[in-house]
Amino acid sequence: MGLTLLTPLALALGALLALPIVAHMARQTPRDRHEFGAMLLLQRVVKRLRRRRRIKDWILLLMRAFAVLAVVIAVSGPEFSYPGGVPEFGGSGRVVVVVDRSMSMSLQDGGSTLLQRAREQSIAVVRDLPEGALVGVVVFGTEADRLTPNLTGDHGRAILRLEEVQPSHGTSNLRAALLEARKLLGGEPGEVLLYTDEAGPRMVSEAADEIERLVAGGSSVIPRVVQADPPRNVAVTSAVYGDGLEGGQVTVRLANFGPDPIEVACEVTLPDGAAIPIFSDIPPFGESEERITIPLEASGGVGKVLCDDPDLRADDARYFHLPRVGASRVLVVDGDPGDTPTRSEIYFLERALAPWGGGKSGVTIDVTTPGGLMELDPDQHRVVFLSNVSDPRPFGPRLTEFVRKGGNLVITAGDNVTADRYNAALGGVLPSAFRKPRSVADTGEKGVPVALPDLTNAMFAPFSKAGRGGFSRVRAHTLLTLEPYTDIPGEVETLLAYENGMPALVERRIGAGRVVVWTGTIDLGWGNLPLQAVFMPMMQRLVTYLGGDAGGGSKRVTGIVADVIAIDLPDLVLDLEVEGPDGQLVPSRIEGSKLLFTPRQPGAYEVRADSAATLAWVAINGDPDESDVRAYGSVAGVEGELKPELLERRVDLGRGFFGFGLLLLVGQALLALRGGA
Amino acid sequence: MWDAEVLARVRHLHLRARMLTDSLLMGEHRSRRVGQAVEFADYQPYLPGMDMRGLDWRVWARTDKYVVKRFETETELPCTVVLDLSGDLRTGTTSAHGYPDLDRSKAGYAITLAATLLYFLHRHGEPVGLELVAGEGMLHRSLPPRGGRNHLQLLFLMLASSKPAGVADLLPSLNRVGARTRRRSWVGVITDGMEEPSNWLPALGAFARRKADLRVFHIYDSQEWHLNFERPSVFYSPESGLELPVDPAGAKAAFSEVVQEYINEVRGGVVRWGGRYMRVPTDRPLEQVLRSAIRGASEDAAWA
Repeated sequence: MGLTLLTPLALALGALLALPIVAHMARQTPRDRHEFGAMLLLQRVVKRLRRRRRIKDWILLLMRAFAVLAVVIAVSGPEFSYPGGVPEFGGSGRVVVVVDRSMSMSLQDGGSTLLQRAREQSIAVVRDLPEGALVGVVVFGTEADRLTPNLTGDHGRAILRLEEVQPSHGTSNLRAALLEARKLLGGEPGEVLLYTDEAGPRMVSEAADEIERLVAGGSSVIPRVVQADPPRNVAVTSAVYGDGLEGGQVTVRLANFGPDPIEVACEVTLPDGAAIPIFSDIPPFGESEERITIPLEASGGVGKVLCDDPDLRADDARYFHLPRVGASRVLVVDGDPGDTPTRSEIYFLERALAPWGGGKSGVTIDVTTPGGLMELDPDQHRVVFLSNVSDPRPFGPRLTEFVRKGGNLVITAGDNVTADRYNAALGGVLPSAFRKPRSVADTGEKGVPVALPDLTNAMFAPFSKAGRGGFSRVRAHTLLTLEPYTDIPGEVETLLAYENGMPALVERRIGAGRVVVWTGTIDLGWGNLPLQAVFMPMMQRLVTYLGGDAGGGSKRVTGIVADVIAIDLPDLVLDLEVEGPDGQLVPSRIEGSKLLFTPRQPGAYEVRADSAATLAWVAINGDPDESDVRAYGSVAGVEGELKPELLERRVDLGRGFFGFGLLLLVGQALLALRGGA
Repeated sequence: MWDAEVLARVRHLHLRARMLTDSLLMGEHRSRRVGQAVEFADYQPYLPGMDMRGLDWRVWARTDKYVVKRFETETELPCTVVLDLSGDLRTGTTSAHGYPDLDRSKAGYAITLAATLLYFLHRHGEPVGLELVAGEGMLHRSLPPRGGRNHLQLLFLMLASSKPAGVADLLPSLNRVGARTRRRSWVGVITDGMEEPSNWLPALGAFARRKADLRVFHIYDSQEWHLNFERPSVFYSPESGLELPVDPAGAKAAFSEVVQEYINEVRGGVVRWGGRYMRVPTDRPLEQVLRSAIRGASEDAAWA
């Protein structure tokens, strides 16, 4: 802020200031003279007027001096400069209109969104541009797009492009937008007219370097900030499933970005459709946390928290992953009902998987005969145990289909298991073809012990704290042998082996389904497994591993709208598709071993393999920073630090001073005319 | 020894005074002195110590009350005109009556007024006297009241030979007149009053104490008192030589206030000492002034 003079030399005319002073000092003596016989009265009048006149004289002197001074200053071209809020627009003839269409610009204010206002204002500006002015249009969310390939003098086309600007759910990538604007300007100076809400903690700071480049190139960024007054918004900033009572808890965090406290009603919808209402009081500019207890049984998938907030609906929903919760229904096919408990696999399995009836352990066992496999319902049972079943051939295709659709099959050996029949019925899904059982220890010997498991394997990860040593006490004297095979990660893996190197537990993955072979028995026929301490936790872990959270199953991926989502692909998957929240297929591509796609809206995305099995669930949400509709930084502020003169406003005071001088002259004349002694 | 101009002025004054006097309504002047005479005046309750000869026995016989008869006595009324001829009276441009060498000035008007009063009073048989304040060229400065044509001619000569000059100093003149004024006298003071009223007004106390019929004729020029001048000018006093540059337009309002205050001050002082005050603008015909002077305050609002 300051006063500058265009022609300071004109101040030399200030010497004229002496004129009124000299004129004032040299009092005028009237030329007319009159004899006057009432001098006594005149003396009294003069005495009375002397004080008034003294004041008046000073006023006159000051008025005349200031009048001369004002005129002198007016001639010297005074300009008053003061810091303005933003750089002044107009004059360059090269304008790039940049419109922010990020999620926060969908904020409602006064019956319209900020984006609508920005669109209208920018169109009005383009419409008012002088003929011949070049204009370009850039819009930005997560990405910046040039709506005009270069600067154009066709204002109608630019207006048409601006009218087509639609809101996005993306973040505010101002940096990319300014880069595009700089490209449009092609290195020449110009004006970047930026319509944005400047909302979010990082938007401006991340773009500082690009602003600096523009300013260094002689351009100016003129922010036209469109904001609600005051900005208000309630958003679900996080929803995460975790341990807790019953089936666990979903922790929902809500944020109030407005200046008033608010009570907001929300609804948590679980993947199986169950809805749980919640109400939350959120303080001004504060957060609240709500915990929703998940039932003992719940389907896994992507859940949704939806809150009722009219200000910015785009961030009212948040999607979260929910693992399958509660009992995994296990179908045990009893191929050899024993006459005594020690000779019955079912006896041991029931006590291992559901020692208290199933509810607490999370496993519900349905026992059936091989004939019951004809009624196999993949939606009902996640894991099927074939325990010493002699001939799986009648239901081999059904089991194969069950596995291919994501089902899990556990085959345990026994005297009834016939390699040829199994190879014929399930050869396509077995980790390796079966061979005949083989005795690995003489009668009377303790048998071969199991080697300690690899704890990095998800199956045995829970044993990292304790229980690992218990595996070495598991012994077997007879084992089902397999054709030689090679471990292929993600396809065929030996999860557990005996110390003699023979496989104990082998897994093969087919899509989302898996087949696990236990080469021993789960009764006391071939070994001592059921009597060991690790039996119960290993069986429960096996079921959970296959059908529950710890297992492979569907991948769970989270992401932000407009970010590129990458999903690791299993081998041998040929046909992949991604279904969006609206049921439409989303364009995707495969690069190497990854599937890539870009979500454009929040929601649950399902990646399916071979049009059937769900390979992954992807929960996509908006950027929480976009929900924070408050402005943290100022583009103009950044510019002001880089080049303060950009923000300077100049006011020509010449006319004002001249008018003031004339006013003073007229005033002093009127005052002088009032005269006096 | 007789200046022809002075004699011409004497003739002028004489003619003027006679004409004015003749045009006035003549009235019998009666003495306010009560005493032994032939014409009954009124009754007064008898008080111990009064002269028993005045008791009206007839009234006593009818009403049983003692009353004393009083009578009016026709007598001479010594009249003195005090004329201010200080230098400031030379000014003025609006006088209704010309006077050789002092045409349209306050002094000419004042001298004519004084001559007319002297002539009028003389015609009524009153002894007249004249006291001049300031001025120059006069043969005498002060002549006490006396009868006779020769005395009147001497007064006219005294007036005609006087010219306004010098600084007004009313106090000693008024004191001198006051000291020699007898009870029941008539004193007319003709002045422009252009000296501090507080200096000379107290001198009027002597006339009040002698119950003299005091009349103050305040001569002024209307143009001066209304400050009717167009351009800023230097105003100077012929009396004191004082000069003041003044813009009449700007000072007019304040001047008007000062004039009013001044009039109130003088009139208040005169009335306080039992006198009668009369503003006499020089553009006012002398007939009116004289008529007011003769008839008294009750007949003319100009008197205060």
